[in-house]
Amino acid sequence: MRFLDEFINYMSSVDAAKLFRMFWFFFIFEFFRFFLVEISTIIFWKFDSIFRKKGIADARLSLIKNQPLVSIIVPGRNEGKHIFKLVNSLKEQTYQNFELIVIDDGSDDDTAVICRNLEHRGMINAFYRNDVRGGKASAANLGLRFARGEYIIHFDADCSYDRDAIENILVPFFYNPKIGAVGGNVQVRNYKESLCATLQALEYYDTISIGRITTSELGIYRVISGAFGAFKREALDRLGGWDIGPGLDGDITVKIRKLGYIIHFEPTAVCQTSVPVTFDRLIKQRLRWDKSLIRFRLRKHRDVFFPNDSFKFSNFISFVENVTYNLILNVKWYFYLFDMVFNFTSQLVFIIPMNIVLYTVNNFMKFLVFSPFRDRKNEGITYFLIYIPLMVFYFGYFLRIVRTVAYVQELFFKASYKDSWNPAKSSRQAKALKL
Amino acid sequence: MSLKIVPQSIEIRNNKIEFDNLLFFIVDSNSSVKIEPLIGYDAIIIDAKDADFAKLILKKIRTHYNPEFYLKPVFLINYKESKDPILHNMNDGLIHSYDQLKDIADIAKQIFLKTTQLDYQLVATFEAQMVKKVLNYMFTRDLKTLKPIPDLNSAIGYTYPEISVNFDSTEETQVLEILEWAEKEGIIWPDFYERIYLCNQCNGGFLSYREVCPHCNSSNSSAQDLVHHFPCAYIGPLSDFRNTIDNSLTCPKCNKALRHIGVDYDKPSIIHHCNNCDKNFQDFFVKAKCISCTQDVEVQYLIPKSINIYKLTKRGRTAAGNGFLSSGKEVEDIFGAISMPVFKTLLHYEIERIKENPEQKSCIAIINTENILELYKKIGKKAEKSVLETIVNLIRENIKPTDFIAFENSSTLYLGIINSEALQAETDLANLKTLIEKLIKNNFNDFDVKINFKVKLLQPFNKSEFQLDELTKELFD
Repeated sequence: MRFLDEFINYMSSVDAAKLFRMFWFFFIFEFFRFFLVEISTIIFWKFDSIFRKKGIADARLSLIKNQPLVSIIVPGRNEGKHIFKLVNSLKEQTYQNFELIVIDDGSDDDTAVICRNLEHRGMINAFYRNDVRGGKASAANLGLRFARGEYIIHFDADCSYDRDAIENILVPFFYNPKIGAVGGNVQVRNYKESLCATLQALEYYDTISIGRITTSELGIYRVISGAFGAFKREALDRLGGWDIGPGLDGDITVKIRKLGYIIHFEPTAVCQTSVPVTFDRLIKQRLRWDKSLIRFRLRKHRDVFFPNDSFKFSNFISFVENVTYNLILNVKWYFYLFDMVFNFTSQLVFIIPMNIVLYTVNNFMKFLVFSPFRDRKNEGITYFLIYIPLMVFYFGYFLRIVRTVAYVQELFFKASYKDSWNPAKSSRQAKALKL
Repeated sequence: MSLKIVPQSIEIRNNKIEFDNLLFFIVDSNSSVKIEPLIGYDAIIIDAKDADFAKLILKKIRTHYNPEFYLKPVFLINYKESKDPILHNMNDGLIHSYDQLKDIADIAKQIFLKTTQLDYQLVATFEAQMVKKVLNYMFTRDLKTLKPIPDLNSAIGYTYPEISVNFDSTEETQVLEILEWAEKEGIIWPDFYERIYLCNQCNGGFLSYREVCPHCNSSNSSAQDLVHHFPCAYIGPLSDFRNTIDNSLTCPKCNKALRHIGVDYDKPSIIHHCNNCDKNFQDFFVKAKCISCTQDVEVQYLIPKSINIYKLTKRGRTAAGNGFLSSGKEVEDIFGAISMPVFKTLLHYEIERIKENPEQKSCIAIINTENILELYKKIGKKAEKSVLETIVNLIRENIKPTDFIAFENSSTLYLGIINSEALQAETDLANLKTLIEKLIKNNFNDFDVKINFKVKLLQPFNKSEFQLDELTKELFD
């Protein structure tokens, strides 16, 4: 109680200038980028959508009239158990002119048996199997090679899709012909399974549903999720499909951007996925994702930062924003930490709780303010409210530390080339060729 | 009159040879194809210069319903090794000249001796009669096993000459059914020899197995290796990598040359391209095209059958000489007819009745269709029963409601004719004979069924079994 009294007294004694000095990191970077920019963009987007309404309706009509063949490719390894569910859920889709191509990347379970059976029963249009594992990119490319559709949609086998998801992800192509790829809105299905999953659901709400509307609207949207992404066939053909991962989703998005296409996020094209339910699995997943920032943004696609023939300002901004807010600010956060530890040593005992309070208030505010803009909610707002105080620890500390480890591993040890997610034979070649 | 002098002063007159108290008849290509006149000869020698003709005659003899024909010793002269299993297996000996008459005469005598030991007891069903015929043949020839022989002329690819001789090559599956029946009856036991698969439409065994496109069922497809280029993750058929200028392989995505399998590329699987529907697939369907009926059948729908070597069981060995009683269930449940035990009971009651009323006369009659086995053979097992039911219906329409019918077997039936004089019953039976003959002729492509019947007045002081035996003997004697 005494500490609480002292804390309140301290807080009330802090004036605006001192508050800014103590929490400059939050005010300059986080509040500005992840609240002010996002809320203003979202408001603009909502306002703009009134004017886009007719154009979108016409685009939908055009899609329905033209009925282009769409190839849904589902690459995966040991995913057989999910395929039957996926096939059944696809029967419910409002857009039905699609071919379903499942690619088995050297599964060592019953995937081949299940999929062959579904293929024989006509529930899968084509099933291709690599007896030898080649990695997710090669599996996706195999599907692409034999796909016949004008549009390619990349699915993950363990995801499920809203019944209008395919239709909604295709409409933008007819709204704006310059759009080369559309990302779907990935939400967390198993958010009630564990605390870890609930926190990820909150994170997805923020970074995917809201964050991607913002980046898409600003023209800097950079990762089309592999769980649900649609591509113009001609764009993929020009690129020769996906390159070696991990991080192939972000990589293909950048490559399509470089071709001059617009990348669009479609919040109404909803996909639900299962996220890792334990923190150790989450760490593995995020280490893989975060390493790709160094490997692809700073190494493979570093040409985006330099003026050249293919230089595009939006690509440059997209990369700068990405690198700044993920890599530089991550480093800067430690700088801030040192600043606080050395310059405010005696007040640290109050600053840390205050920091937590500040972030938590911000998180509550963001959640409540952005909720009306969310197209679809898994659960009423109240379910998540009690978990919001934990987000500061999850997002501010846990994920930041994981990200730091990933960056160090990749920057100094090129750890992504050792990731078992990719077969060693491919990683060896990629490393040798600096891909 | 032709006369040939052969060594050792053996005389052939009009194709007949008398030797060692046996009368041989030589059938050559100038002979008639009718075999009925041969009944009076002890043995037949077929001139096999013309193998087709020889087979025709041999088959006619062995398929005949009368044991005096089908058990007749038949020898071949001028026989050149033939792949035909009937010609090869269903003769009793080969001679190259008439010098060898002594040898075949001994064989013929042995067959006669065995034939006299046979019991021609009637059996119930078509299968039973066919098996009995085969058992008789095996007994007289001292055969212990029925061996399958690969045969291109058989619809299923195998033939059991001793049974198959009774069927057309297209009806070979009936042979398998009969063998299965005999196995169930405990007459023979199987020793696995081979498994075959038959067309589910026509039971044909000549199938062309093909890998077909799962989309259009065409077998016009070509296969290629899939190539995975590690550095860029491109994967596609080998043709994507082929260079039009030289033989090198170049990645179509990154234009790098493929150098070393396992290092910068591999071949993770194979892809098939259908030249008919232009689709690609990895898992082709295997279909079997029946050469006989051209039906394309998925292999899981083919009918599997075991081809066995069959050996006589103890029961079979006994039955071969002494005959056997089959379960005869097939003729028991024909509507309008009663079983033989019930028939005998009713006959017993009738005898008791006329014993007390001597002024009343009743008769028993036997009707035998001599060659109906040939018809059953043609129409199959299912139709056999409907033929029997039709015959019973016809008889029932022309007899009194108090009269009763029972099948001894599928070619022989008994009638109990109540309150009828023998003469009247005789007239009624003659009418029935005509009606049945017409019925069969009209319904089965002019098939001439040969019907024999016998009527007897029921004797009040003889047992029913005795009177039935007497009646049967009189008909067959």
